[in-house]
Parts: sequence; structure tokens; C-alpha cells
Amino acid sequence: MGVKILLDKAHIEGIRTYEVYRREGGYRSVEKALKTMSPEAIVEEVKKSGLRGRGGAGFPTGLKWSFLAKPDGVPRHLVCNADESEPGTFKDRYLMEFIPHLLIEGLVVASFALGSNATYIYIRGEYAWVAEILEQAIEEARANGFLGKNILGSGFDCEIYVHRGAGAYICGEETALIESLEGKRGNPRIKPPFPAIQGVWMRPTVVNNVETLAAVVPIINLGGEEYAKIGVGKSTGTKLISACGNINKPGVYEIDMTISVEEFIYSDEYCGGIANGKRLKACIPGGSSVPILPANLLLKTAKGETRYMNYESLSDGGFATGSMMGSGGFIVLDEDQCVVKNTYTFARFYRHESCGQCSPCREGTGWMEKLLLRLENGQGKISDIDLLWDIQRKIEGNTICPLGDAAAWPVAAAIRHFRDEFEWHVTHAAEAVKSNYGLAHYADPIHVPVG
Amino acid sequence: MSKFSEEKLAKVKEIMARYPEGKQKSALLPVLHLAQDSFGGWLSSETMDYVAELLNINPIEVYEVATFYSMYNLKPVGKYMFEVCQTGPCMLRGSDDIVAYIQAKLGIKPGETTADGLFTLKTVECLGACGYAPMMQLGKTYREHLTKERVDAIIEECTRNAAKNN
Repeated sequence: MGVKILLDKAHIEGIRTYEVYRREGGYRSVEKALKTMSPEAIVEEVKKSGLRGRGGAGFPTGLKWSFLAKPDGVPRHLVCNADESEPGTFKDRYLMEFIPHLLIEGLVVASFALGSNATYIYIRGEYAWVAEILEQAIEEARANGFLGKNILGSGFDCEIYVHRGAGAYICGEETALIESLEGKRGNPRIKPPFPAIQGVWMRPTVVNNVETLAAVVPIINLGGEEYAKIGVGKSTGTKLISACGNINKPGVYEIDMTISVEEFIYSDEYCGGIANGKRLKACIPGGSSVPILPANLLLKTAKGETRYMNYESLSDGGFATGSMMGSGGFIVLDEDQCVVKNTYTFARFYRHESCGQCSPCREGTGWMEKLLLRLENGQGKISDIDLLWDIQRKIEGNTICPLGDAAAWPVAAAIRHFRDEFEWHVTHAAEAVKSNYGLAHYADPIHVPVG
Repeated sequence: MSKFSEEKLAKVKEIMARYPEGKQKSALLPVLHLAQDSFGGWLSSETMDYVAELLNINPIEVYEVATFYSMYNLKPVGKYMFEVCQTGPCMLRGSDDIVAYIQAKLGIKPGETTADGLFTLKTVECLGACGYAPMMQLGKTYREHLTKERVDAIIEECTRNAAKNN
């Protein structure tokens, strides 16, 4: 069993209520932080912990906090990004649904550290019942003196408000989220200025993911240095992985980033192997935006070394032979699945979710969807594959926000590693409509050139 | 035209108070949710104008937001809306079969409503239930691990509830 510091108590009966959560040691970090630490000291502990943003980008949280501008007389805000919408990702929902007070506790400490008297949780609109669970938890925390005026006699006032979105993946991007919180369309802003200088209502703002803010609780309880001892290298602490697709035990798992990808997929403690006795074909290890890898590059790196479930190892080999930790949305494809079709559903997703501000993304996502559908339906040409490659190249890096990259990468990786499957859809069009390319050579050991 | 009850108006006030003075526009998304829930499951232009008036903003500011977000319905929908996810992780677990089954069973295509106004079928993109696929959103809840049998049971449940409420 790996170390668990976020979900270790998520299964205790009644943990959703303040009473049980408090009895199990909840809100100790608020007591420690507000009674014995300065805001600067908290930021320092978070820096020491090595915590990296759990939303997908992996940016060091302590560093992000230290960028927050503090002009005199201007209120600052902490905004919790609970807009979880990256296909394959459902970890934040699990945390908020089953142990909501952990997030509220982390928010009180982080609000104190950043000087936010009004903190917002921006939650995706579809998680309507989760929003109600959070509002209940906030009520309970206020009734017990952990929110409101002069918390624990510290002189610090804090309110937390839940703000429901209304269906837009783009609002997970922090500047689009800020626009949406202001009651506008979710169009990302051009940076700079960064939210740390001018965020919501043009005030200094920090936007952090749910899991990131929950991790502040064990960091304060254990101390930054102790927290940093969990994990390996720059992958400190634990990570929530939401596993789905063709596995025996889909669900949310907390890992300490020292286990191998193979163990994660096949051990009974985690995914429990591929469903229906099938073989592993491919995996998208960090949410739909990150590169898909064939089985033979997933379990081992191109150098033939074991691949581990952490930031560095998952990205070993760069985009040529590696992928990314991303949001921790772990999507597994078995030997019967079609990579062309899977890529098509993602392309359709990104076309649907593009905000339309930047031409390369607005136009490019639509063309990628059309070309992939044509290939999937056996009506494509070999030149369509090259055209797809060309389009994704022209989107990447040419947009205001990372949605363009997120749309381009899955297409690029699918062609890079599965080009013969795409070609088969053209050369065997009639067959491709009825059946799939299958496992082919995608699990075969890779020949590693010497020297 | 319908207006909010006193109780709902108090709720609007409470929502507006969550944001700083002069930033009442921030209440737009939550107030549109409240309006859609209160006025038949969709937002007519009259409803949107009413919301603009309540928040003291221009009607165009409401229209541009209502047309951006996928949860706001700009035309009438059935009493029960089946929003079936069909993005990658759900597709891998057979969401295509579920959509096809609902289509055949209700005799409608995605985007359509049954003649009795009871059911609307809609295909949607990832709703964050990938580990419990295939799934659909029904009102404020998720229905997960869908099978043909579960779909039958859900349709039956909705039909029964509709009959009870009439």
C-alpha cells in the first residue's frame, strides 16, 4: 500500500459531515496556520513541499503564490478551479463529493496565506449536486467558527462562495474562468497581465486546482520538508489518478508517484488489469490532451527502462516517445479499440469546446474533426493523414490559450505512433467500417538501437 | 411573462451579494441557472431580458453569455432531458450503443423531443464521469453504468413520475 494523505479518510462513514471530519483530526491545519504561522511562513512551507499544480500544468504552487501582487488597499482573491472538464478526469469530483471539508480546510489556510477575504469555488455547472455538498460543508464550517469574521480569534475574516459554471471546458483555463466568474463568455485573456497582478475584477488573483488546495492541508500538518519526502525527485507528495476505459477497476486512486505504470494498470490495488481478459493496446495517461502511447512505449521508455507514474518518467522521451502526467486522467484502450475513432471523439470534443477567439483553433479543430470522421468512415485518402498533421502543426503554439495545443497534441501523437492504423483505414476502407485494426504490433518489444 | 416569486427574488439578492459592490454582473451565470429552473427548463428572450433588468445590465450581455454555455437551453426541451456523454472514455465503454438504443426506444434522434413533450435526447461531451461510463445527465443528477436495462428503468421511472404529477 502506498502512502495516502488526501483520501486516507474518504471512506469513513459520515466523513462528509463536519462532526465526523473534525473528530478524525479535521481543521487542525487551520488551527496551526492561523494561531502559530504568518502568511509568509505558510507560502514558505508550500514552496518547501515542492507541490506542483494538480490541474494539469504542474507549475510549482509556492512560486505561483509568491507572484501575487499586494498593492495597498486593493482586495486579493483566491479562486478554486473546480471546473474539471478534461476527458478522463474525475478526481476533483470524487474529493469534493466524498470529503468536501478537506477542500474547505485547504481553502481557509490558503486564503489566510494569500490574504483573500472572499474566496470563490468555480465548479463546473453539471456537478450541481456536488455544489450543494460544498455549500453544506461551508455552512457547517462557518457554524463552527472556521469561516466568517475573526476566525479562531486571529483577526482574519473569510467567506467562501460556490459559483457554478454552465458547461464550457474552456473555463478550466484560468483567465477564461476569471472572465466567466465576472459573468462573461469564457474567452481567455491575453497574458500579461497575469492573474497574479490583474485577475478577477482586475484585482490580484490566484487560481488553483481543487487537489492542489486540498494538498495544503497535509503540507501544513506534516511540514513542507516532510511532505517533500513522499514521492520521488520533483514529483513530491501524492497524486490523484482517475482511471477509466477498458480496465477492471475504474475509479479514483491516490498514488505516491513511486509505482510503475505496469503496477498501476495490473495490480489489484489499482486498475486490476485489462477488462475481459483482453490485452493492452494504448493509453492516454494524463487526460485527453496529452499524447497517447502504444503499450510498448507506455510500460517501458524508449530506452527500455521501467516507466513510473510521476511527472518526469511519464514525460521521458519528450513528445517523440513519451507523454505527460497532465491532470491524472488515465484512459486505457484494449486491443479491440480503434485509435482513429478515439482520436475522432477527442477532435469533436475540442471543436465543440473551442471558444472561437483564435482562427487556428476555431477553424483547425473543425477541419481535424471532419478529416478524422472521414477516415473513420472509410472515406479518407492517404493525403488526409498528412493534412491532419499539417493542421495540428499550425494550431500548436499559435493561440492565446493552451486549448489549441490540447487539441493538436492528441492528433499528432495518434499519427506519430499509429500511422499504419490510419493508413489501414484508407487501404482497407470497407473492412475499417466493420472491424478494427486490432492490437497489431503495438505491444511488441521495441528494438533499442545501441549507441 | 413570468417573473420570479418573492422567495426566488430573495435568492437573486443573496447571489448578488456574493460579489463585490458594483460587480453584480458576476451573478449572471447563477441567476440564469435559477431562471432556467424556474421557467420551464429553457431561456426565452423575454426571460433573458428580465434577467438583464434584474442585474441592471444590457440584454446583449445576457444573450452573449446564454449562447456561449452549453447548459442553457435556448428553445423548449422535454420534461426529461437525457444528455448522453459520447466522448472517448464513454465511447470506449459502449456509449454509441446506448445512444442508438435510446433513439430506437423513444423514436427520436439526438436534438429531438418526443411528440408528447416528455423526453429530449441530447449527445454531450465529457461530463466527468469517465470511470462510471457509459453515463447520462438527467436534470441535476448523473445516471451511471448505463445498460439497456437501466435505460428502460429510467424511462419507466420518468413516465411514472410524469403521470403522477399530472
